[in-house]
Amino acid sequence: MKQDKRVYISIFWIVLGAVLAIWQFAGNTDEYWSGLGIALLVVGVLQLARRIKYHRNAQYRENIDTQNNDERNRFLSARAWAWAGYLYMLVGCIAIIVLQIAGLREISQTISFTVCALLIFYWVSYMFLHRKY
Amino acid sequence: MKNRIEEIRKGKGIKQDEFAKLMGVSRQTISSLETGKYNPSIFLAYKIAKYFEMTIEEVFIFEDEI
Repeated sequence: MKQDKRVYISIFWIVLGAVLAIWQFAGNTDEYWSGLGIALLVVGVLQLARRIKYHRNAQYRENIDTQNNDERNRFLSARAWAWAGYLYMLVGCIAIIVLQIAGLREISQTISFTVCALLIFYWVSYMFLHRKY
Repeated sequence: MKNRIEEIRKGKGIKQDEFAKLMGVSRQTISSLETGKYNPSIFLAYKIAKYFEMTIEEVFIFEDEI
């Protein structure tokens, strides 16, 4: 197996997940961290299994490489992210108004912050891409 | 943008999945190209035209789209 960044990342998630889980079982943290630890552990193991299969199975490797480099897949992924962003903005704005009317001001404010953050990310990304291309 | 990929490919007796492999894309991409659902990048269009030993204009029919 050649040097593969994703293998190291998977191992990192496994180790971090195991540490968090063991830490909780030793009675040092609450269940939130152990839950997160177990989730990271599972993700790490699944990722590692996929990477091992990638390196051992030539047919699987070819399929994965084609999928990753396929320009239509990239186009679809970019479009899907754009749609997700638009949808988030739309649903977020509706939720802000509805929650404000319902008197849930704190939740409404939190959502409005995330909508503003998304707009800032969009603007920064747009300016960056504008300079790049 | 319309194209003659399916016609030329079939004329050469190449299957969709074989052609996809040669072009380094998925079979679904070739299928979408042939049905006109997806327009290729200039790189893929060039690669396809080069493989068919044709010009891009001979494979892809440009229509003014507004």
